[in-house]
Amino acid sequence: MVEENTNEQDSQLVGLLAQFDDPDSLIAACNQAREAGYKKMDAYTPFPVHGIDPAIGIKRSILPFIVLAVGIGAAFVGIGLQFFANSNYFDGLSPFPGYGFNIGGKPIFSTPANIPVTFEIIVLSSAFAAFFGMWGLNKLPMFSNPLHRISRFKRATNDKFFLMIEEADGQFEYATTEGQLNEWGAVAIEECRQDLTDTKLPRWLTVAGVMVAILLLLPPVMIFRAKGMTERAPRLHFNPDMDWQIKFKSQTVGPVNNEGEPLFEDMRAMRDQVPGTIAFGDLEADSEMFEGIKSDWKPEVTVTTATGSVRTSLGENQEAGGVSAADDLTKYVTSFPEGIEVNEEFLARGQQRFNIYCSACHGYDGNGNGLVNKRAMALNAAGEAGMGTRWTTAKSLHDATVKDSKQNPLGRIFETITHGRNTMGPYGAQITPKDRWAIVAYVKAVQETELKLKSDQEADDSDDSSDNSSEDDSANPRP
Amino acid sequence: MHSTRPAKITSPVTTLSGGHVRTIPIAIIAGAICIGVALALSLGSEFRLKRFMYTYLSAFCFVLSISVGCLFFVTIMHLTRAGWSVTVRRIAELYAMCLVPLFLLFLPILVSVLMGSDIVYEWNVAGWTHHGEAERAAAASLPYNQLPPLEQLKGKFLNSGFFTIRVIAYFAIWGFMAYFFLSNSLKQDESGDKSLTAKMQAYSAPLMILFAATVVFASFDIEMTLSPLWFSTMFPVYFFAGAILSALCTILLTGMYLQRTGRITDEITVDHYHDLGKLMQGFVIFWGYIAFSQFLLIWYANIPEETFWYDLRFVNNGWRGMSIVLLIGHLFIPFFLLMGRGLRRNRTLLAISAIFILVMHWVDHYWLVMPQMDRAAVELSERATGAHPTFTFSGIGIVIDIACALGVVSLFIAIFCGIVRNRPLVPLQDPRLGEALNHEVH
Amino acid sequence: MATVNPSLDNTFDDADERSPLVLGGLDYSGVTDTVCNVWEAEKQPKIWYLVLACALSLLAVLGGCLGHLIMKGTGVWGNNNPAYWGWPIVNFVFWVGIGHAGTLISAILFLFRQNWRTSINRAAEAMTIFAVICAGMFPGVHIGRVWAFYWLFPVPTEHLAMWPNFRSPLLWDVFAVSTYATVSLLFWYMGMVPDIATFRDRCKSRIGKFIYGLLSLGWTGSVRNWHRYEIAYTILAALATPLVLSVHTIVSFDFAVSQVPGWHTTIFPPYFVAGAIFSGFAMVVTLLVPVRAMYGLEKLITLRHLENMNKIIMATGMMVGTAYGIEFFIAWYSGVPWEGFAFYNRAFGNYWWAYWIMVSCNVLIPQLFWFKWCRTTPWFMVIVCIFVNIGMWFERFVITITSLCRDFLPSSWAYFHPTWIDLLMLIGSFGLFFTLFCLFCRFLPVIAIAEVKTVMPHGDDEH
Repeated sequence: MVEENTNEQDSQLVGLLAQFDDPDSLIAACNQAREAGYKKMDAYTPFPVHGIDPAIGIKRSILPFIVLAVGIGAAFVGIGLQFFANSNYFDGLSPFPGYGFNIGGKPIFSTPANIPVTFEIIVLSSAFAAFFGMWGLNKLPMFSNPLHRISRFKRATNDKFFLMIEEADGQFEYATTEGQLNEWGAVAIEECRQDLTDTKLPRWLTVAGVMVAILLLLPPVMIFRAKGMTERAPRLHFNPDMDWQIKFKSQTVGPVNNEGEPLFEDMRAMRDQVPGTIAFGDLEADSEMFEGIKSDWKPEVTVTTATGSVRTSLGENQEAGGVSAADDLTKYVTSFPEGIEVNEEFLARGQQRFNIYCSACHGYDGNGNGLVNKRAMALNAAGEAGMGTRWTTAKSLHDATVKDSKQNPLGRIFETITHGRNTMGPYGAQITPKDRWAIVAYVKAVQETELKLKSDQEADDSDDSSDNSSEDDSANPRP
Repeated sequence: MHSTRPAKITSPVTTLSGGHVRTIPIAIIAGAICIGVALALSLGSEFRLKRFMYTYLSAFCFVLSISVGCLFFVTIMHLTRAGWSVTVRRIAELYAMCLVPLFLLFLPILVSVLMGSDIVYEWNVAGWTHHGEAERAAAASLPYNQLPPLEQLKGKFLNSGFFTIRVIAYFAIWGFMAYFFLSNSLKQDESGDKSLTAKMQAYSAPLMILFAATVVFASFDIEMTLSPLWFSTMFPVYFFAGAILSALCTILLTGMYLQRTGRITDEITVDHYHDLGKLMQGFVIFWGYIAFSQFLLIWYANIPEETFWYDLRFVNNGWRGMSIVLLIGHLFIPFFLLMGRGLRRNRTLLAISAIFILVMHWVDHYWLVMPQMDRAAVELSERATGAHPTFTFSGIGIVIDIACALGVVSLFIAIFCGIVRNRPLVPLQDPRLGEALNHEVH
Repeated sequence: MATVNPSLDNTFDDADERSPLVLGGLDYSGVTDTVCNVWEAEKQPKIWYLVLACALSLLAVLGGCLGHLIMKGTGVWGNNNPAYWGWPIVNFVFWVGIGHAGTLISAILFLFRQNWRTSINRAAEAMTIFAVICAGMFPGVHIGRVWAFYWLFPVPTEHLAMWPNFRSPLLWDVFAVSTYATVSLLFWYMGMVPDIATFRDRCKSRIGKFIYGLLSLGWTGSVRNWHRYEIAYTILAALATPLVLSVHTIVSFDFAVSQVPGWHTTIFPPYFVAGAIFSGFAMVVTLLVPVRAMYGLEKLITLRHLENMNKIIMATGMMVGTAYGIEFFIAWYSGVPWEGFAFYNRAFGNYWWAYWIMVSCNVLIPQLFWFKWCRTTPWFMVIVCIFVNIGMWFERFVITITSLCRDFLPSSWAYFHPTWIDLLMLIGSFGLFFTLFCLFCRFLPVIAIAEVKTVMPHGDDEH
């Protein structure tokens, strides 16, 4: 009966393998084997045969409990991951400060919105536990198995049913067992032998395995190396047309015609303005309206542009030598320019714009106690890292110097809004000139009446979210 | 290994065999007393009377959903040619047949609607748009003020005449379906005619469509229009999920009760209970899925004309606690109670789970219905007296609720016994009986 | 194909007995041989080469489009203000929907012990995975800079200083679709291991032996292994069932959590799931009818299997139809003017053609399956199923495009124009899908051999 491995010295008997032709006779044989006292035996079937588990004495697997434990663990991991990732709000909890997304006013940690991801993590982890747990408990993969050397056994994955009684079983006795198997209806019986000669891995396979393992290490090593060093070669460009757009950059050579001759005589890409034309959006000739500076005022120093930065440096340069063009208070208009009609509607517009743009620092009543200012001062007082030392108190509009129409004529207030002053930023880009004048009018009205239009206390109570966002900004300065 | 059982009914007792004769009057009297007590406690105060009507409606919806779920169970089992469920199908058929007399229990509400009262349905009185949450929500979004009032928009649908016609149509269709399945099944008990099974199977597909249409609109009409402004396309699915879940629990409990009292002892096996338990767990999850999806979408979009409905259930008068009870009691506890083969094959545990789920299902309908009353009553008394009667889960109010629920359930039991009479509790000659008797869960 | 061999017709309805699921008197080895013949055949059928050639050329088109897209940026698509979610999202939802049938057949029908699933589940699962690959591609390239794809996952990146936003449905999608793809793959592979072991034991070539030996993990068919294997299979099925629901639910959340009229409606989750099952089953039928004819698998994939699937197609089609109806009713009932307009506009606005294609393909055409001839005639059911898939593509198109192109602000109304890249990528994705499916048919067991044996008369004492 023994077909292979006839050399007894090189192989060891593992057990006797009996073949059956249908599941029912296999189950019957299993029952009889169990009753005969065999414990170390296993049956092999091409498909799961129901009713064989009790026959061969299999206890229910612990796999479901493994999966349950992993699933419950995953629930905590899932919730924890989201809590952790969204925890940038609570300083120090997360080493990778995130960005406090504000989604529809939902709180940073919103349980309903975190359910789907938690659910998916539970399912994924449980599935892994079931899959790998099953293979682990089955001790698979195991590629070397003496059974695979028996050609008859190939039909165990097709249409035949096998029962193996192991030699290691206490009851096993070659002749008796073989007789019993025959008695139980085995169609064929075969020895299953473990070949002792070639149980070692071939040497070349070991070497090849080590080589592959080393080679597999290379890509991650190279990635880490690349992360930790500088590189002279330009980086790879995946979107060349986004990185190199077809256009002329400033200070470069201009276009050429088909013959390679420059299109322009001076060869420059940058062109002067055509005489008699004006650039788009530059039609702001009325200096009273757009700058708050008298139209008949002529500066003693030639200043061609009047942007904030240039002016500041001019002011600094000329501080020692008398009145500079920037400090000349007489240049500012003292009344509203032509076309601006100050009436109730206009003031209301000014108030509305003021409340949007100015009140955050200057406060609704203009006393310099807006929310941003309050928060910054509180941080200053607490000595917290970040903004603390850099914040300058917002000016109160009721301050004597601000109220003084000599020192701060209307035009100067307009200019302050437009270009900013000291640490105050410019608002010219956000607010239209007419609205700026409306704010000026409103500021003057507030100064005149010192109206407490809206107490800041009230604003504090009603507007928690803005408080939060200011805290967020100040707590997480970004480079 | 097991041997195949012959396809034959072997239990000595397969009917109630006179047991119901005593039960019917007891249940009717108990029900009448409970409802009478609840009503007596509610008289005299408009607020309490309103509470009585609402709580009656919630209890009615509870028993209605059980019967509707059983009707679905019967239909789907025919549709899918299921073999395993044959021995429990008769119980479901009998419960489904209860839908006809259940119409009587809906009469108090229907009559109040026909009499033009807005005690239950706010929309049943002229000018409803201008009070209640409609006003609140409309004020929140400006363009509403420029539109015709909702009353005018929805009036074609929400009026007492059309409402009555629809409700009668639902009960007529359900009654027809239940009668069709029960009578054919009983006919088969006598004759053993296999073609009846084929006939029921053939009819089950179109009947299922009718069933779907009626359940969609019935759930809209009976429960969703309590808050005439609110709308959710998911609502029928929510109603359906709870209905099938409670039906499964009821079938299981009825089967266990009948077996304990020595009837149909051989026909329903632990494997049937195991499968019912599996389905129960499945529908617990399904209910949770539907409830969560509906909540999440409304919570996330935060549109005023939808969100207020959840707002009522999460903010006012302890409703938040009730919502959490529902979440934990209707989803998490049953989920773990029904998890695992060992738990599902333990009859005692399974019975406890089923009772627990049924209680929670009543809480579910209570939670769907009562906050609307809370809201409406506040509006009502504000208009009348300026006072704020508060809705509480204690005192006479909760006595009314519980008495009313017990009363309705008692009447339901009486109806069931009346339907059963001496009919067999298990199909006697179904061609798939053998399959059901040999049913085994691996 | 049109004439049915009477011995292979098992669609009779006799309440007394169950119709057999394996025909032609096949025994265990007969089943093994029938399935293995597909793979052992010296030459694949000519039509296989033809399909593969077509699929490969479409795949090349897709590759070209992808390259073009990555080099040029997503501007090559027709997505533009206001339809930022244009064609690619439609394709994504379409393919993900198709990818629902496999796991549904494997998991839900398994839990409900619908034995007829065994002959079709393998091919359906394979189809699922290939469809999910096609689906994942669209949002994958939609991010524009595909090399930064890992930003989608919660990877701690210093330079980004940012975690994904866990409150965004789009991130839920990332988790749902990747979980779904992974679990489907595990499920598919696990189910295939015993069959790969069969291949291993029959394989003649050395390379084949090595590869199938490796993939079968040394499977012997030990009953101890089968015991744990079945438990694990049940657990995976129990996990996959809520998972498969969650995937399309979350896809529906992408739309429904917003406030866009026509998107924000609470029935979306079950309605999307029903639609997904609908389209997925239609795709399974579309694939299996040619496969069974090509490889002579009529004895295993019987008319009964196809009929059952067609019934499910009809049922889910009506569920989808019911959802259309409920949506329309509530749009009117809600009294919300935008909601009402959105639905009126769908049916009678300038996308009316898409809407009516959708309704006729999804609701009307499947009604043909009421007739037994229609649902048991292979060539005819394929035609119906192709219409269903067309209809389901248009459903996603209608939902996505009509709502975006007609939102609250009339000033932002527009008409969506796809570009040729849009079109070629949709066609190309079919190339990817069919290439993978052809290779699957050639190299892996198309039918779950071991599972079919369990539903054979002597295989199992269960009925």
